[in-house]
Amino acid sequence: MAEKDLLFEMREIEKVFAHVHALDHVNFNVRRGEVHALLGENGAGKSTLIKILTGVYPKDGGQIFMDGKEVEISSRESAAALGIACIFQELSLVPTLSVYQNVMLGKEIAKFGIVNAKQERKQIQDLIDHYGFPVGANDIVETLSVAQMQMVEILKALATDAKLIIMDEPTASLSSRESELLYKIIHQLRERDVSIIYISHRLEEVFNLSDRITILRDGKNAGLVEKEHIVPSEIIKMMIGKEVSEATASRELKTSDAEPVLTVKHLTRLGAYNDVSFEVKRGEVVVLTGLVGSGRTEIVRTVYGADPYDSGEILIEGKPYQPKISRSVATGFGLIPEDRRTQGFSPLLSVTGNVAVTNYDKLSKSGFVNKANENTLGHEAVRLVDLRPPNPDVQVGNLSGGNQQKAVLGKWLTRDLKIMLIDEPTVGIDIGAKDEIYEIIERLSADGVAVLMVSSDIAEVLRVAHRILVMRGGKITKEFNNGVATQEDILMASSGFAAEEGKEADA
Amino acid sequence: MSDVKKSGFDVKKLLTNSRIIVLIFLVAFLSLVTGGKFFTYGNFVNILYSISLTGIMICGATFAVLLGGIDRTVSGNAAVCGAMAATVVLAFGQTTGGAIAGLFAGLACGIVSGFFHGLVLSRFAIPAFLLTLATNEVLYGIVQFITGNQLINVMRCDFMNWIGENRLLGIPIPVYILAVCFVICYIVLNHTVYGRYVYATGGNRQAADLSGVPTRRVIVIAYTISGFMGALSGFVMSCMNKQASAAQAMGYENDVLAAIVIGGVSMRGGSGSLQGAMLGAVLIGVITNGLQLLGVPSIYHNLVKGVIIIVAIAWDMLSAARKSGTATNPFAGLFKSKKKVTA
Amino acid sequence: MRQETLRRFISFGLLVLLVIIFSVTTDSFLNWGNINTLLRECSVTGILAIGVTMAIITGGNDLSCGHLMGTVCMLFSFLYYYTGMSLLMILALTLLLALMGGLLNGFSVAVLQIPDFIATLSSQFIFAGLTYIFAIRNEYGSITQAQINNPTITALGGQIGKNGPYFVTIAFFVMAAIAQFFLKKTKRGTYIYAMGANRKSAEYSGVSFVKTKITAFVISGFCAFVAAMFTLGRLHTAEVATGQTLALQAISATVIGGAAFTGGRGDMVGTTIGVLFMQVLRNGMRKYGFTTQVVAVVSGIVIVLVLVFDAYYNEFMQKRIKRAAAAAREKKAVSANG
Repeated sequence: MAEKDLLFEMREIEKVFAHVHALDHVNFNVRRGEVHALLGENGAGKSTLIKILTGVYPKDGGQIFMDGKEVEISSRESAAALGIACIFQELSLVPTLSVYQNVMLGKEIAKFGIVNAKQERKQIQDLIDHYGFPVGANDIVETLSVAQMQMVEILKALATDAKLIIMDEPTASLSSRESELLYKIIHQLRERDVSIIYISHRLEEVFNLSDRITILRDGKNAGLVEKEHIVPSEIIKMMIGKEVSEATASRELKTSDAEPVLTVKHLTRLGAYNDVSFEVKRGEVVVLTGLVGSGRTEIVRTVYGADPYDSGEILIEGKPYQPKISRSVATGFGLIPEDRRTQGFSPLLSVTGNVAVTNYDKLSKSGFVNKANENTLGHEAVRLVDLRPPNPDVQVGNLSGGNQQKAVLGKWLTRDLKIMLIDEPTVGIDIGAKDEIYEIIERLSADGVAVLMVSSDIAEVLRVAHRILVMRGGKITKEFNNGVATQEDILMASSGFAAEEGKEADA
Repeated sequence: MSDVKKSGFDVKKLLTNSRIIVLIFLVAFLSLVTGGKFFTYGNFVNILYSISLTGIMICGATFAVLLGGIDRTVSGNAAVCGAMAATVVLAFGQTTGGAIAGLFAGLACGIVSGFFHGLVLSRFAIPAFLLTLATNEVLYGIVQFITGNQLINVMRCDFMNWIGENRLLGIPIPVYILAVCFVICYIVLNHTVYGRYVYATGGNRQAADLSGVPTRRVIVIAYTISGFMGALSGFVMSCMNKQASAAQAMGYENDVLAAIVIGGVSMRGGSGSLQGAMLGAVLIGVITNGLQLLGVPSIYHNLVKGVIIIVAIAWDMLSAARKSGTATNPFAGLFKSKKKVTA
Repeated sequence: MRQETLRRFISFGLLVLLVIIFSVTTDSFLNWGNINTLLRECSVTGILAIGVTMAIITGGNDLSCGHLMGTVCMLFSFLYYYTGMSLLMILALTLLLALMGGLLNGFSVAVLQIPDFIATLSSQFIFAGLTYIFAIRNEYGSITQAQINNPTITALGGQIGKNGPYFVTIAFFVMAAIAQFFLKKTKRGTYIYAMGANRKSAEYSGVSFVKTKITAFVISGFCAFVAAMFTLGRLHTAEVATGQTLALQAISATVIGGAAFTGGRGDMVGTTIGVLFMQVLRNGMRKYGFTTQVVAVVSGIVIVLVLVFDAYYNEFMQKRIKRAAAAAREKKAVSANG
């Protein structure tokens, strides 16, 4: 390996969370002026690695080198001082200020506190022209498109002479034209010797853009591939791991012959999903998978009554159903929403307080709450989800992520459920709690509840699904109804490879 | 945390409530230094009497604050109700029937006003503070219409005089009214589904929505209750003053808010209790009373009130931070900024 | 069009519309004498609104500036009446009080981390208390008023020449211009916007929350000082209730001018429009012969309408942005599939 080409190197990095190795002796390096992709399933350790690299987490072991010298990255500031910049998924710009003000924020060119706007503007406009970004230095950030905002973030990085820019899912909310523009900019940056760490679930673009790909799996290095040796199926195998047990690598699917509980026919909501039809039968677990933004969450919310739809039909047990939240709750729906923090629970209320909210039809008599029943319900819910600590009086905000999610589940488990809608139940939850949540889902299914679940985590999909629907761009593009589905199949289908193969076959 | 047992009367919990401790110390201190003037039945009744009007308003306004809002119109509603009631009473010739008609007319005004605020605030993302700031001006404008900018004297209405002047078992009637309001609102907040929904909606409206809580209705009802309580307080005030004025209750909204805040109700909503808010009112009442007994001129009372609010909130922030284990030092921000200056 | 530009256009358009309506329908509105009076009457509120705008742009609020102004007035009259201090000394002490008042707010908000509007509500109580303490008392101990005859101060209530604009108006416009320059052209001004619009991002860029908040509140304190001097110049005396309703007026004007309580939005041009709008409305309605209560009701209703409009408009814009994003996604999906 040409050592002097190396800009940045991480050696034997370790990170331990609660006795679990999130990163286990991981090696990672970036050459000057290369695009280096970081690939891995959810939970493989990508984001932990990036957080160590940007100074959010301290490392528990290993060494970091920049330009051949060992460095300590203890904070965001020290990362920035080393020339490391991160383009976050969640943009961190000031919306009401102009592009140049944002780029220069905190490092204004000023005399006696008065800003030399002319010079700042010129400096930034020069930088913009140099790279040919389609933004103006004077544009107000909130008037820009998401892609343009990302460019401002990149400008911010460039203005600090960043040598290494991290892009975390930069195309997740871009249109294809905007993505093309970003690719162009990435090429330009590379030509100017800026290195880029690129993280994306869209394998196609990763394969096209990257000079090298580092693959992580379960917190360990799983492979390092040079551009000329990229073979998609090989890389997918590395991500999944060959030695994984059969139980999670593939799953025997079967179509149940029970009567359908939820039937969706030609459901369309403009801009979200288009002509979607499927059914969920008694005791069946149907998983909607695919990339974020493919319309999965919107379908679940529509069925529940939280979002409107434009056309189509929803049937419950064969009868037409007009979704409305209060009606859904009364009919026997349950919902685990996408983001438990903002939609799932009330952090200041106790577990009992949260769990009881959906159950007052049973807990009250002419408007008055029966406190004894309420407490019993709290204990019952704690028992059903095996909450830790097993105390229904704890504020939910003080629980761990997994137990918070269990509390949200507890809202519904004490009810007579017909349909359970579950949206990304295990994001940010440790492995132990994940398994418990899967067990709860299996129990629900065994009890005859129809489960419709949204998940991006392929291992999770294969763990719980009876049938799998893959969505892409607002449509169900592939169904796995029978036979054996493997991680590879699903990854191919949701990243678009399978869809294209299918197209070619049609043609 | 898990081994905290729940019992009917939780002494431990009571004693860890910093407000109670402060109150006990205050009472002990004042009893000692005032030479027996403070610790008398009569003086306690006086304190309760002095907080009865704000107390009734607090019963309503706490609903709004628990929902993450605020209701500054408690004073405007009180003024409208007082003026409306007095006008009706005069029209009926100061009879008891007239007084009851006036009471209902006044309360109706408060209910309508509260209902309107609830409708607007549940539909639009308007800061409740701003909206009620503006509408309070409107309400006072309406009061000036009703009163013609004159004092309306109601001297000879037996019913109103009975409320304003009489005592039962040595306790003034307004204190009983406060007690009834408090008990009802306490029951509503702690023993009804509606009360649970108030906490759920205030704590996280989106989560409450998705759990099937009719959050819009919850908000409308809360502001309606607040309007009702403000109006009731205004009626009692008119009984006590034997008149309705165009500036009735002006500035009470600040006292009400101060008590609620001192009582530990979070302005973000979803946390705090009515008993806490009332304790805040009692604390202010005891301190004001103590200052009077100690011969501190009333000019210092406002000053003290301002300092208490700052101390109470800063205390809460500090203990919350200590509990959650983050940023234990409220001065941390200061030191951080210093570091930046040198860097 | 950018949301803020459109909003500015609307508030300015409404102001012009009001002026035209009153000019056409009444005889006594559009003449220099009336306009000059109108400008004089709104200027003290306007000066306070400058400080309030700063606080609101940082994402906060200042309920106490009116009370602080009253306290400064009272301290002035106290020192003037009871001590033989020179004017310069009195000015220095009152300015010190005003700045300390601002600092107190800044300290509670930035260091004690008390929400702005509770912090300034409590300082409102404190300032009201101080006002009583400084009040002039007769031999029986009850509050009286003292006449302030200092020619320099009384001159502040005057105007240029016989019919020229009042000094207070000039001060308002000059201060608004300086404040606008400060907000738009200086580092600290930019930080005020950045802090209000996205605190996290501002702090990541090295902007200090504590310093920015304190800057805004100290400016507000200074505005209260200037407003107090002109108030004394006009009234020649201080009362205990002086200024107590002005903070709310200033806040309303600021909001009508387009500043958002969520922070990061608003400027002095908007605030000036808001101040003028409220005053033109009041003045014009009085020309119609409406009583003060009608004027109060109508201006309250106008504020409510503006609030509802702002909320509705924001919602509309948010929906539009979402729809545009969804449409873009769909396009991509189509091109990806096709």
